[in-house]
Amino acid sequence: MGTESLAQHSSGVKRQEEQLLVDRCRRGDRESFAQLMRLHEKKIYNFIYRMLGSEGEAEDLTQDIFIAAFRGIRSFRGEAKFSTWLYRIALNQARNRIKYLSRRNFFARQTRRADYGLNTGSESTEGLADSAPTPEQWTMAKDLAAQVQECLNQIPPQARQILVLRDVQGFSYDELSEMLSLKPGTVKSRLHRARASLRECLAGKFE
Amino acid sequence: MNCGKYQSQFNDYLDGDLSPSERETLQYHLKECLPCYRKWGSLQKTHEILHQLPSLDPPEHLSAVVMARLKDSRFRQRFWYPANLPRWLPMGVGAALLLLISAALWQVMPSQYPWQSLFPSSRKNVATGPGFSEKPHESLTIRKRDSDSSAPVMVLRVKDFSRAAQELRSMLRSFARPPLPERQSPRSPHAGSARLFQLQIPGQRLPHLLRELHKIGHLDQGQVESQKLANPGQQEQVSIRIVVVSNGSDVEIRQLREGR
Repeated sequence: MGTESLAQHSSGVKRQEEQLLVDRCRRGDRESFAQLMRLHEKKIYNFIYRMLGSEGEAEDLTQDIFIAAFRGIRSFRGEAKFSTWLYRIALNQARNRIKYLSRRNFFARQTRRADYGLNTGSESTEGLADSAPTPEQWTMAKDLAAQVQECLNQIPPQARQILVLRDVQGFSYDELSEMLSLKPGTVKSRLHRARASLRECLAGKFE
Repeated sequence: MNCGKYQSQFNDYLDGDLSPSERETLQYHLKECLPCYRKWGSLQKTHEILHQLPSLDPPEHLSAVVMARLKDSRFRQRFWYPANLPRWLPMGVGAALLLLISAALWQVMPSQYPWQSLFPSSRKNVATGPGFSEKPHESLTIRKRDSDSSAPVMVLRVKDFSRAAQELRSMLRSFARPPLPERQSPRSPHAGSARLFQLQIPGQRLPHLLRELHKIGHLDQGQVESQKLANPGQQEQVSIRIVVVSNGSDVEIRQLREGR
């Protein structure tokens, strides 16, 4: 069995297991929902964090997203992947939250706050004992992450979501078009514009 | 050089979607064109930075908090309610039922309830019975004031008062909605032995009404003030009072006629 077919087989099994958990959830099994949540919480939390730029807000909204998912799980028919369905909820909730926070000038106040993602990330420090960054590199990287998040906060939410989903979280165009209910061509053109906006913002900061 | 054309390929190049020949041409152009090379470089760098953004671990207590919130009754799943139906449906159905019930009650409620006078315009004062036009000016209408003592009185003597009154009421109802206002004799020793109905009717429909009244009981022609009812105009509205009595008590008839 080749590596590719092994990966396909593994993802198929994973999807079957996930569907089993979803079926149990639909019957009200909270333990299965807890397992589903453990599978997806990190990705959802990071997506929301990149959308809102605040850990506190990301934590609150991630909670709301999972609660909404539990309450609405009976409407999930298994036509799309569970993660796609969950991301749709996350996208809706994030849009609403961004509107709410924008009215309260949250993103302007958030600018230059130095908690943009390097204070806890275990993945960023795991296995780096020998090649750990120097304090200078660490500071530079932290500053860069902060600048990127600041720029993400500045570009329109529609562009931000597509950029985070594709370039940060690595979803394919097909997955994106399903999540956003857009044609692949539209996704592509929006992504191109979003990348250009972020590039311009970052270029402005580093010039 | 067509820089715009090459720059539009940057994203496809970034996603690895260019054909080998397109890629080769673009790479050649980037070596030759410094502005495009710079632009490409910054876009590539941006892409790399996004890829390298650190992934955060969610707080450890996140799932515990969510599970605790789910135990709260406010966030419980509604297992009794089909998931594919919209959430507003029960409320909408409830509101529609309430409206239907209210409308039905309004139709069946007797007319003498005092609060109905608060909404006089909510019912059509139009006769719908046989022989009557739908046009308002030709219709039988109900007098709102029952003090019109100048209107002619017809006395209908009947054997079985309650049955006759019922028949008369339904006959007049077939002419007019809502049911006609009626008054009982105020000093009747045995309540329900005399009743007054007041109405307005187009002159041309008067013979029809008289024929119907004859079917119910004995119409005392002597009491009909013929000078007022003899030759009404075809379109003229005629006010009439009909007194139904069982034993022909003159006192009661007089009381009703005088509006006391």
